[in-house]
Amino acid sequence: MTGVGLREGSVLSGGDPARSAPHHHAGTPTAPTAHQVAHTADVADAIRDAATSGVALRISAGAGWLGAGRPISAPTRVLDLRALRGIIEYNPGDLTLTARASTTLAEIEEATRPHGQWLPLDPFGVETDTLGATLATASCGPLASSLGLPRDLALGVEFVDGRGIVVRGGGRVVKNVAGFDLVRLTVGAWGTLGVITEVTVRLRARPEQVVSVALDLPDTPAALAPLLRALREAPLTPIAAELLSAPLGAACGAGTGAADVVVVRLAGNATSLTAQRRQIASFGDARDVPESTWDLLRRAFPSGAASVRLSHRPSRLAELWFDLATTSRDLSGELRHASVERGVARCVMPDSIDGTLSAQVAALASRWTVVGEQLPPEAWTCLRTSATDRLSDGVRTAFDPGALLNPGLMTSRR
Amino acid sequence: MIGDALGRALAAIVGERQLLQRPSELLAYATDGLPGYRKQPALGVFPRTRDEVVAVVRLLARANVPFVPRGAGTGLSGGALCDGTVLLGLNRLTRVLSVDVENRLAVVEPGVVNVHLTKAVSIYGLHYAPDPSSQAACTIGGNVAENAGGPHCLKYGVTLNHVLALTVVLPDGEIVSLGNRDGESSGYDLLGSFIGSEGCFGVALDATVRLSRNPQAVRTMLADFTSVDAAARATSVIIAAGFEPAALEMMDQPTIRAVEASIYAAGYPVDAAAVLLIEIDGLAAGIDDDAESLRTICLAQGAREVRLAADERERARLWQGRKKAFGAMGRVSSHLVVQDAVIPRTRLPEVLRTIAAIAERERLTVCNVFHAGDGNLHPNISYNANDPDESARVHRAMQAIMRCCVDAGGSVTGEHGIGLDKLDYMSMIFSADTLDAMCRLRGVFDPDRRSNPGKVVPIHSCREWTQVPSLR
Repeated sequence: MTGVGLREGSVLSGGDPARSAPHHHAGTPTAPTAHQVAHTADVADAIRDAATSGVALRISAGAGWLGAGRPISAPTRVLDLRALRGIIEYNPGDLTLTARASTTLAEIEEATRPHGQWLPLDPFGVETDTLGATLATASCGPLASSLGLPRDLALGVEFVDGRGIVVRGGGRVVKNVAGFDLVRLTVGAWGTLGVITEVTVRLRARPEQVVSVALDLPDTPAALAPLLRALREAPLTPIAAELLSAPLGAACGAGTGAADVVVVRLAGNATSLTAQRRQIASFGDARDVPESTWDLLRRAFPSGAASVRLSHRPSRLAELWFDLATTSRDLSGELRHASVERGVARCVMPDSIDGTLSAQVAALASRWTVVGEQLPPEAWTCLRTSATDRLSDGVRTAFDPGALLNPGLMTSRR
Repeated sequence: MIGDALGRALAAIVGERQLLQRPSELLAYATDGLPGYRKQPALGVFPRTRDEVVAVVRLLARANVPFVPRGAGTGLSGGALCDGTVLLGLNRLTRVLSVDVENRLAVVEPGVVNVHLTKAVSIYGLHYAPDPSSQAACTIGGNVAENAGGPHCLKYGVTLNHVLALTVVLPDGEIVSLGNRDGESSGYDLLGSFIGSEGCFGVALDATVRLSRNPQAVRTMLADFTSVDAAARATSVIIAAGFEPAALEMMDQPTIRAVEASIYAAGYPVDAAAVLLIEIDGLAAGIDDDAESLRTICLAQGAREVRLAADERERARLWQGRKKAFGAMGRVSSHLVVQDAVIPRTRLPEVLRTIAAIAERERLTVCNVFHAGDGNLHPNISYNANDPDESARVHRAMQAIMRCCVDAGGSVTGEHGIGLDKLDYMSMIFSADTLDAMCRLRGVFDPDRRSNPGKVVPIHSCREWTQVPSLR
């Protein structure tokens, strides 16, 4: 689970980057025209121009980059990567695929499905989310609990750093320890160490058969904890297991709306699935839910809504789940879901734009690991910014000495 | 020279008995798992506690003295070799600090031996998944430095995928926490950068690692082929058909014969051109269906026989032959060069044919024993290093094999690391700009390049290269 609705709340809309300029925070001067780039060399040129002019770049992929509501300090010009698109190499026998950054997840799905394969990244958002943005923001969804985080699936990356230098880390093979790891470094760096132009990912074979089963959840932490523990310890090999708050469960076709639910997505051959369903049935009144539940879940979140992720060790998920429910109760229409295996919960709060959100985020951050996805500017200050230590500052300086790439997205200072 | 004063200062931290200064004492540390190199450390220091490690690193920082962190020294790229500087042995920090059974994680000191961790948690039905062949000796700290793999990494992933957090002392003595053991990590993936940095970014003081549940059921089978080509093709078909074996290993005839002639004899058919050792694991329900499907694929691809291990004893025997294959080759000749390269899996048949042609041209015997499932080749050549002509032919063959793997779209190392041995290969796959970017990343962790100097990236690649601090 976890992830960023890449469409939501973009600083820049996908359709017309220039038009979206008014969405920048008031008073932020913005260059009127966007750089349109079609090749890696164009990206390098644009970055060198930025270094000369001193106007920083805001990187925009297919559906628009998420500004996440962070206060942006520097004037920026849009670097529009939409033309940097297309699958470069796909050899199904190798289960690897190389594509340009703005290739959409939908295009990859379309190419791999006929071969019984998939890129198991299911971030929350729309199918026009791009591969580059998904990796740059390290966005993922329910499948990550078993099939890997973006950092686990990225094999190679080409990027252009803040000095306009083209760097190619990793490779196109599934196992590789040559040199220092520039791939992990770029995944989740929000473009602040380099503009990702090309990516090689590991694919997986689609499971032979998949079935999803839902159970209603008990309404106290004391009753939920043992169920979650049993789910984690039972002889099951789910590719996803997600808690959904009652309204979200209803919206996704997995519940009646009367209770929170857990939806378990089982995979395997026929014999294995029969045994696993029997196992789940031993935990309660299990019912099959359609596979469309997972697509609905990806798209269930209103655009522009504030959202945060909370996490701790998985054994504390029941406690976390109810703490989050209590804390967010005042925020009308809130939607919650959580990964059983990873112990990560996500809360989307469509109507929370007032000052109470900051206090609530601060309270949660005192008890749990909190990662902001989309927040009003003042709420960001409640979170310990993750990249202000000496090493993170050093990495930023080493790869983007002029702070030209997406300034403000990793640290408030740069 | 590293003087007596430094020795005295180090002894004051760790005690006289944990400090080796005499050349005879240091002899054992002049090589690592890769034969063919010999480098003499100026002295060896072996702290027993975390505080001692930190004090040693800080002392070396103040004295501006380079050092080489070393675990068990089983590495196969010369990465733990120490040329006239201080060898920092971490193999005496051997405690498993805590085990969180419910969350399946353990916090360990860097000197914990890989298989000891699995033994320590086996009572809970758990194990530590990365299983390099040296797992009976290699340490978790060394595994982290090398981003170690192993046969079961095909399904379970390499060290990177199993480390949640590290406490690290940077070469300047600062202690930092990387990753997060209590929830998600955010910010730059410094943990991911550190893992596999081959001791160049600092010294891990503890590692929080993920433990895996022991599978409910395991099936191990040996498929026997009359041609290498057929075995390679079977590998591709298995992967493309969507099976995710826990391990999928190939051994060719020279390897099989070396193993069968040794004390590690596993009952492999000595007349087979190649065998595949295939293991699947998971839920008991359905596993026999998958085993039968794999058997059918192998037979369809020309296997003479597919033998299923009847019990745990037979399974262990099949695996022992594989894991001790390098050792078995020691009987063949005095020296062994172990190569490590990765290719796209569909290129296996043609690359193996090219390797055979190279061996024939250079009048050498190449033993192939490798992780076929992820295209990670280990062509090995047994030879006599005292024969200059044979040594030259081995060198030429290794270069040619590596070139062939790179041309097939591969990488120069899948799990052994670059170390000292593969420095020259780096420019085969990385541009000067990319190598410079690696130097810049290293510079963030170790601006003076004192930690494991001269490894991983050829020094001339670093644009802003400055002289490595002189020894004093």
